[in-house]
Amino acid sequence: MKQPFIPDFFCQLIDQPVNTLVDQAQAQGRKAIAYTCSYVPQPLLSVDGLFPIRVRAPNVVGTPMADTYMSSVLCSYTRSILELALEWAFDSIDGWVFTASCDHLRRLYDNLEYLNKPAFNHIVDLPHRSGEAAEKWLASEFRILADALSQAFGVDTGDQALAKAIKVHNQYLTLMREISAMRMEDNPPVTGAMFQTLLAATSSSPKDLLMDQLGELRDTLGKSEGVTGYRARLLLAGSHCDDPAYIEVMEKTGGLVVAERTCTGSIPALSPIPENGDPFETLARQGLENISCPRMMESFQQREEELLEAVKEYRAEGVVLQTMKFCDTWGVESGLLTKSLRKAGIPVLNLEREYTMSSEGQLQTRIQAFLESMGK
Amino acid sequence: MAKYFGGCDLGSTTGKAVILKDGEVIASACIRSKIDPIITGRDVLNLAIQQVPGLDRVEDLARLVGTGYGRNEVPFADENVSEITCHAVGAHFCDNSIRTIVDIGGQDIKAIALSDQGSVLEFAMNDKCAAGTGRFYEAVVRTFDVTLDEFSELSLKAKKIVPVTSQCTVFAESELVSLLYKRNSPADIAAGVQLSVAKRVFTLARRVGVKPGITVTGGCSKNKGLVKALTKTLRTEITMLPMDPQMMGALGAAVLASRNGHKSG
Repeated sequence: MKQPFIPDFFCQLIDQPVNTLVDQAQAQGRKAIAYTCSYVPQPLLSVDGLFPIRVRAPNVVGTPMADTYMSSVLCSYTRSILELALEWAFDSIDGWVFTASCDHLRRLYDNLEYLNKPAFNHIVDLPHRSGEAAEKWLASEFRILADALSQAFGVDTGDQALAKAIKVHNQYLTLMREISAMRMEDNPPVTGAMFQTLLAATSSSPKDLLMDQLGELRDTLGKSEGVTGYRARLLLAGSHCDDPAYIEVMEKTGGLVVAERTCTGSIPALSPIPENGDPFETLARQGLENISCPRMMESFQQREEELLEAVKEYRAEGVVLQTMKFCDTWGVESGLLTKSLRKAGIPVLNLEREYTMSSEGQLQTRIQAFLESMGK
Repeated sequence: MAKYFGGCDLGSTTGKAVILKDGEVIASACIRSKIDPIITGRDVLNLAIQQVPGLDRVEDLARLVGTGYGRNEVPFADENVSEITCHAVGAHFCDNSIRTIVDIGGQDIKAIALSDQGSVLEFAMNDKCAAGTGRFYEAVVRTFDVTLDEFSELSLKAKKIVPVTSQCTVFAESELVSLLYKRNSPADIAAGVQLSVAKRVFTLARRVGVKPGITVTGGCSKNKGLVKALTKTLRTEITMLPMDPQMMGALGAAVLASRNGHKSG
């Protein structure tokens, strides 16, 4: 498969737990707020000099300390983040915001509080159902967060400031959606690994410091030659997957990843946020209606339909359903989704993985055999 | 001139080669893997080629397909195919009643479900842990101070089964030492080892569904004690293939070489 490439500027941003753009923004007096889950509203962490960074754990070598505190039967994303936190990798970060989205992330919040207490550590409660009452509840949770941020950092988190942040965030989402849309082409100019690099780089940096480069990249990609010689178009679904190297193994084997329906992927994270109405209620509605984490109850059918729709939209020929070991929400969901997809005649490969890439050879064998079984 | 088709399976522990002519196996070879997969591939292919009068060099094969962990390293290969597909093709070529394959190799266990036409419907594979594979047995026989064949025979002489609870190669080794020191019968412990592996295979096989017409391939298929334990856990007879089951990957690769070779002319 002939592959285009992505500028070093973006690749370098994902090599370190805290990248140089974060340092640069902090040197200007701005505050970096770490988060770990898509339900954390990014615009609220982007008001008045704050900026959100979705934390990753690149190059983590084993998690012996985190295993001791959290136990080894929790998802390895949370254990890897705690391990790096205990190695002081995140000490330069100004604050953390969690959601009570799953037990694993809640335990990460607890352990961080207990072992390496951040100056600002906040957890947002999260309803398990959507609907009007849930939206009101979540909006009030966001207001509590806004007050806490305002008090801790002396920033304006009022309605106007938030409305402005939503507008700016939408500009980023528009750019990313435009690049993502190129992946629907027969020969897209952007591979799955490239797109994951962009997602990881942009979500772990102050976005305003890379918007110019992102805009230039969109223009360049629009004129670039596309990927040729791939064997099949694949859609990646499942748990947290912020490592482009994992997708790269699939693509080296000939399976071009055209979209991701994961915690950290393109669907549905790039949906635009409405700019009218009460900004707190808008963010609450956006989160509950769009993020579609399997933690939500009574909404399997919606998630099933969204996935089938995405397969159609991106013309995916198969779905790789990857779950992080011990991720109970996706673990249960993947069994049900596998049945639905197969019923719809879509080939599915189930993979279980750890946060850190290992056993590349085995992953390659699985992907290759999957493609061969699809007749590719 | 006669057309010869080759398949070369570079596994974690052994390298295998098969040569086909007119749909018949005319040569095969199996050697222990060397440190360099290219050397393993070259040596095992040369061993097979030497058995065919009139065939002098690997380059003279009409088509060669590589498979196994080292499938990208097979010298002069025209294409590479995963060992999952190759085992399916090889076993179905030998016996078209096969619907389920359990492949127990040097460091992997795979369960493969086949369609009536012999294509892969579904597969499951162990993770990075090598419990229950050839590497596991190598560690076990070291503790027993016997060869693999002797270990297999020993397990068949068991009067009862001493359970071995550790799946991990390292822990199992120390558990075996303590069981031996407690004066349990070595044959009964050996049968316990076979059963623990067979149970591990059972969970994997159940993930793809166990359909009648089940066979065992890979190096560990030669372990009769394990095959007997598998008939117990899988609750079905194991179909024995008419050819060395360790060669199934290489055979499947050669069959694919001949199919694709004939297609391309």
